[in-house]
Amino acid sequence: MTRWCPQTPGAAFLLTLLALPFLLSNTNAASPLMATAQEFDADFDYVAGAPTHLRGANIGSVEEFNAAARYAVSPAITKRLLLRLGAEWQRSDLRVPDNVPLPKTLQQASAIVGLDCQLTDQWLLRTELDPGIYSDFKDVSWRDVNAPFLLTAACVVDADFQWFVGLRLNLYSQYPVWPVLGLRWKFADEWTLNLILPHPRLEYDVNERLKLYLGGRVQGGTYRVSDDFGTDHGDPRLNHELLDQYELRVGPGVSWRLLRNMTIDLDVGYMVYREFNFFDHHVVLRSNPAPYGQIAWHLRF
Amino acid sequence: MAPVIQRSMVWLFAFASLFLSSVAWAGPDPLVRLKGFSEFPSVNIQDLLKGEILSEPGALMDFKNGISAQTCYAVFVPAQQAARKLQLWNPSLHQDLKIFKFHPVNEPSAPMDFRDMSLKSNQRPIRWLLDKTRATTPTQSDLNLSKEEAEQLAACVKNHPDPQAVSACWAQLLQQRALAFEQQGFAGVAPYETGGETMSPVTQLRTMLREQPAVATEFAPMLRESGVLGQEGKLDPFHYWGMYEADHRAVLNLGAVYLLPVGNRYQLMDAQYYVSGVYYSFVTLYEVWPIQLGNQAASLIWRGDFFAAPVLQFTSGFERLAYGAVMVQELKKAIRAFQDDVKTKP
Repeated sequence: MTRWCPQTPGAAFLLTLLALPFLLSNTNAASPLMATAQEFDADFDYVAGAPTHLRGANIGSVEEFNAAARYAVSPAITKRLLLRLGAEWQRSDLRVPDNVPLPKTLQQASAIVGLDCQLTDQWLLRTELDPGIYSDFKDVSWRDVNAPFLLTAACVVDADFQWFVGLRLNLYSQYPVWPVLGLRWKFADEWTLNLILPHPRLEYDVNERLKLYLGGRVQGGTYRVSDDFGTDHGDPRLNHELLDQYELRVGPGVSWRLLRNMTIDLDVGYMVYREFNFFDHHVVLRSNPAPYGQIAWHLRF
Repeated sequence: MAPVIQRSMVWLFAFASLFLSSVAWAGPDPLVRLKGFSEFPSVNIQDLLKGEILSEPGALMDFKNGISAQTCYAVFVPAQQAARKLQLWNPSLHQDLKIFKFHPVNEPSAPMDFRDMSLKSNQRPIRWLLDKTRATTPTQSDLNLSKEEAEQLAACVKNHPDPQAVSACWAQLLQQRALAFEQQGFAGVAPYETGGETMSPVTQLRTMLREQPAVATEFAPMLRESGVLGQEGKLDPFHYWGMYEADHRAVLNLGAVYLLPVGNRYQLMDAQYYVSGVYYSFVTLYEVWPIQLGNQAASLIWRGDFFAAPVLQFTSGFERLAYGAVMVQELKKAIRAFQDDVKTKP
């Protein structure tokens, strides 16, 4: 499932890519050692069976297992400009009753291509293009290829307050353009309001290693189903159609810093909203709330 | 229309010449010098005189714990006065800089210099320091201590865990460090040994400076005379101790601010040679040039900040860009506070 970050192709990204070296031409080149940052994130989560409805009728319970892994490396080009390259894989296994028009699996296997740059002493910019396959992986073809794009600008007011504005583009989605707003505000020594998608949180620092939080998780993605998906599920209109998935979760969690560069997050709560939407044919499946649990592992080196 | 345009152009040039010629400096052009060693290829003095503060992230470092930034600004006092104010400036009068205490230290330092030390507070950053001090054992601590200091602090705190007594333990430790520095200079700075590995704040300081050879070359007289890169310091610095807030935690520090006239300009170095925790070392270099604005004397100031902290080791990529941006914003706050003080207390 695509998290709320990466999304759509295009001219904006290429223009940024072309323009930045000129904008930043007076900056010095990066030194080789400092130049590379690496990050690895992995997570697994489970959403219990949730009664799901199609056109008002309960079509049974949908259970969800998700796994994801993401690796990115950021070699520095200059002191103000970093390239961002990597790969991401996400898989959703859905346990659904037979004949319910939902695929058993939704997967994303994509590359990460982007740039991070410091535009001014206060403004930072991230551009990220995630070209890859977004599909049920039944009969993979060029039609399963998408390239969501994210453009985010961050304004650093001071050490305790930063705000963000951005744009998420996904041309295959029912809503191809989404504005993104966010802020991080450390309003007290132990409290931080971290309203940044896809994991908005209110955080409490117990100590240097342990953090408690109450937060949400916004997930979404657009996938192409197989050529005979509709036929197999009694509705041929859905053959090789696009499926939007949105999900909102809320719940408490704990973040434990095991090492200076390694953190584990555990959270439980409720999936309060979930929608599977074949938007071209108005086939929409919505789920009732259901409990979920998640473990995530973050490594920086 | 042509004569009108011509007349306008003549006036424009005349006005521009008058304006440009109103800023002058004695000796070599500071802007040429700035271009030579700093991250500022071009500086518009007029903008600085209007209050603008130029800033640039420092060059990237191989030293993973280090980060740096450069700033450039102006103040409306003669260079000598600006340099002296920089050396003796008390930042604790500005609440937004989050400095709990700032006190001069005599040479030789005496217990009286640290009499205002107090960890009795309801403020969480200070409580954090108190808790970490109480948790210190002879072999382990989250604070920056040598083995001997850890033993001394652990024993002292064990007998008297109340905040006032813990403050006295710290006062004693800081005074010993200050005395060692006053007697032996940078050679007398003991390394930090309680974090699992030995960290020398002076070595880190030298490493960061070596990574920016143009700055190190420009400041060679200062680095030599202060003893950072030479054998023995020849300058008498202004000594201080402070209690600052860093990352929402209280930090005790000891520092020395050196001032050296070099030709018609001044070089300064503010070196925090001891920090109790959160970060390892912090050094600020200044170069101050005299400039003349009509009849008014003013100063052009370049500032370079070099900062080493454990958190930076794994703060890379976009996070490091953000960290650098935060650093610059905090530096600008301090510079504005200094400019205000210069304006209101000339």
